[in-house]
Amino acid sequence: MSVTQQALAVGRALDPTRSARQRWFGGVHGADYVWAAAFALPYVAVFFAFVLYPIAYGLWLGSDPELYAQLFADPRYFTAVINTVIYVGVGVNLKMALAFLLSGFFMRKRWWIKALLVIFILPWATPALPAYMSIHWFMNGQWGMLNNVLWMLFGIDGPVYLNSHWSGLAANIGAYIWKNLPFWTIILLAGRMAVPQELYEAADVDGATGLRRFAHVTFPLMANLYFVCILLDTVFALGDFNATFFVSGGGPAMSTEVLATLGIRYAYTVALPRLGVAEVMTALPVLIPLVYILMRKLRMSEAQL
Amino acid sequence: MTIMSRRSVVSASLGLAAGAVLARPYIANAQAKTAVCWLNQGFIPQEDEGMRQVAEDYMKASGNKLDYSIMPFMAMNQKTISALTSGDVPDLVFMDAPSSILPQNAWDDKLVDVSDVVAPYESQLSESAKLCSTFYNKATKKRSYYLCPIKQGATPFHVWGDLVEKAGMKISEVPAKWDGIWNFFKQTQAPLRAKGMRKVYALGLQITTVGPNDGNNLFAHFLIANGGEGIVTSDGKLHTDDPAVREAAIKSVEFMTNLYKEGVVPPEALSWNDADDNNGYHEKLFVMDFDGTLSTELAMIKDKQAFYHDMVTMAPVQKNDGTPMKTQVGTGGGYIPKGAKNIEVAKDFMKYFMQPKVMNANLKAGLGRWVPAIPQIVKDDPFWLQSDMPCLKPYVTEAVLNPTLPVYEGFTPAWGQANAEQLWGQCHADVVKNGMKPADAVDKAFKRCNEIFAKVVM
Repeated sequence: MSVTQQALAVGRALDPTRSARQRWFGGVHGADYVWAAAFALPYVAVFFAFVLYPIAYGLWLGSDPELYAQLFADPRYFTAVINTVIYVGVGVNLKMALAFLLSGFFMRKRWWIKALLVIFILPWATPALPAYMSIHWFMNGQWGMLNNVLWMLFGIDGPVYLNSHWSGLAANIGAYIWKNLPFWTIILLAGRMAVPQELYEAADVDGATGLRRFAHVTFPLMANLYFVCILLDTVFALGDFNATFFVSGGGPAMSTEVLATLGIRYAYTVALPRLGVAEVMTALPVLIPLVYILMRKLRMSEAQL
Repeated sequence: MTIMSRRSVVSASLGLAAGAVLARPYIANAQAKTAVCWLNQGFIPQEDEGMRQVAEDYMKASGNKLDYSIMPFMAMNQKTISALTSGDVPDLVFMDAPSSILPQNAWDDKLVDVSDVVAPYESQLSESAKLCSTFYNKATKKRSYYLCPIKQGATPFHVWGDLVEKAGMKISEVPAKWDGIWNFFKQTQAPLRAKGMRKVYALGLQITTVGPNDGNNLFAHFLIANGGEGIVTSDGKLHTDDPAVREAAIKSVEFMTNLYKEGVVPPEALSWNDADDNNGYHEKLFVMDFDGTLSTELAMIKDKQAFYHDMVTMAPVQKNDGTPMKTQVGTGGGYIPKGAKNIEVAKDFMKYFMQPKVMNANLKAGLGRWVPAIPQIVKDDPFWLQSDMPCLKPYVTEAVLNPTLPVYEGFTPAWGQANAEQLWGQCHADVVKNGMKPADAVDKAFKRCNEIFAKVVM
């Protein structure tokens, strides 16, 4: 049993015969209870101030039903919803699939692969804003590096990437994948490294190699971690503002806006912050079940990878 | 060494907490003469130094304290909107371009009326500065001053004079009429490309659909040049039903989209953000740009050849009907959110700042990127019209001496929303990308504009 499993087991080993009061106070009483409360108080205060209060304030700001009528009357809102679904659906799944494949590649023990891993992590380590702004300029049809390279190598003028809805959206998704792929590759790499080597050895003995080894050992053991990563990244991607704002700017003609960028546009460009908050609130019916599933998954899968 | 018991720790903590609560009113009183000010970071370091100087000078002169912070425009914009929404506000906000914030918040009765601060200088202010500083309040049902105007900015043409010469043309031959100017520079592209500048374009025409500002500003100037300046009047009414306005809008969209289709505008212009045209211009990727203030020139002040010799700044001269062109000007200055704790100090600071001598010193320190809201200043001080900076005289002439119009945002919050929705950029995109006729694209934009204005009844 791993250290984590042992620690988790302690939490579960609480005596079920104890009274509800004992369980509530965690076995402490008298002066110890006062001390425990005094030490917990700052954390509780911070939780209220920085978690509960902002959420409650946001709900209050977006509580006027008229805001939603205004929102649903705006055709750009529905464009942003569709873009968000594509952005999250493609961005998260494609990235995770790539991260999963790459984590297998980086498991190899050659020195140059380890060196490559260091370079591979760089996009994630780069601050997001300059990275996305560089991509915006990199893709500029007139003076961007991409089209200049195309001209130098093949003598062709590349397209104006950010002038089309689909290539603009693809650029945003590509930038988001590029920026975050290393992080998730490392997470999945850590997961792969935790798979007991004995299982692979046993599979070898049984004659399972290649795809069968992947299907019967790696995938079943990694599936849970992979699913948790997908859920987590979906939450991140739903709120991602930077890639769209700095790569396509939501253009052309606001056709690549996602919920996060449109909310900010309402709040700070149109100077209607309540509408901006209401717009972001419309993501909650998706976000809350996601977080709930994520939490349940984490609780259920404590002994799994 | 003192050994702390549990009891002593608890009692000392309670004592400290009680002391802090009791002492708080005295701390607040001690700050009664302190105003919290948020100041807009300039485009060049000299502007920030100018702001620091005026704040420090005021503190010395008045004995009051300004707790000021200088922050970038976008960050300050967001911080200010958040503050106005939550009610936790500073005592004074000083912004170069507050036109996206003020109309809506004046409308919602969230700003302090500063008519008493402006009154002593009102007769000296330019008409456009006055109109850009008064806003309609739906609670009081009247327009009043909610901005203490200090500075104003206009939009000049920025031209690479050396490229014009390289193309075999002369700046002195630029026509006076609006369309003529664009058509003149259009001709530079072919000779420059023939001389090996493969990717150079003639015009930095920001028909962008991304925004936030440049495309809207460009459309407004085309509209004015074509006789459609009455699209919004100072009473906040929209006049899209005026045939002259519709005609002007159609002409504008047709002219601009034709330039785009002719290939004399970088194709990317449809997706430019506000910095892209500046970057492209600085890299000499097009010959001419039409962009607000002198930031384009001042960003290159260290390049002596470019700043003093190669770049030419030009004011628009005539509309297409031959009458004088009216450039739109925006006004910057200070405003006070309701809920500010030290309104008295904030107002006192703005009274100090509005003195022509102080205003002038501050704007000169910023190298004239913004011009004074009091026109007499530029006539009295040779800095403005006899400077050795070649860009200054044409810019000051345009922004102060020539006829001007205030930006329409000052008339009604609805125009700001129409701009934020990039209606005019979308209009261009409908023509060049979706194959729509200019008249249909204009009608579509006007329809949406009417819907936006219908919600804001003055």
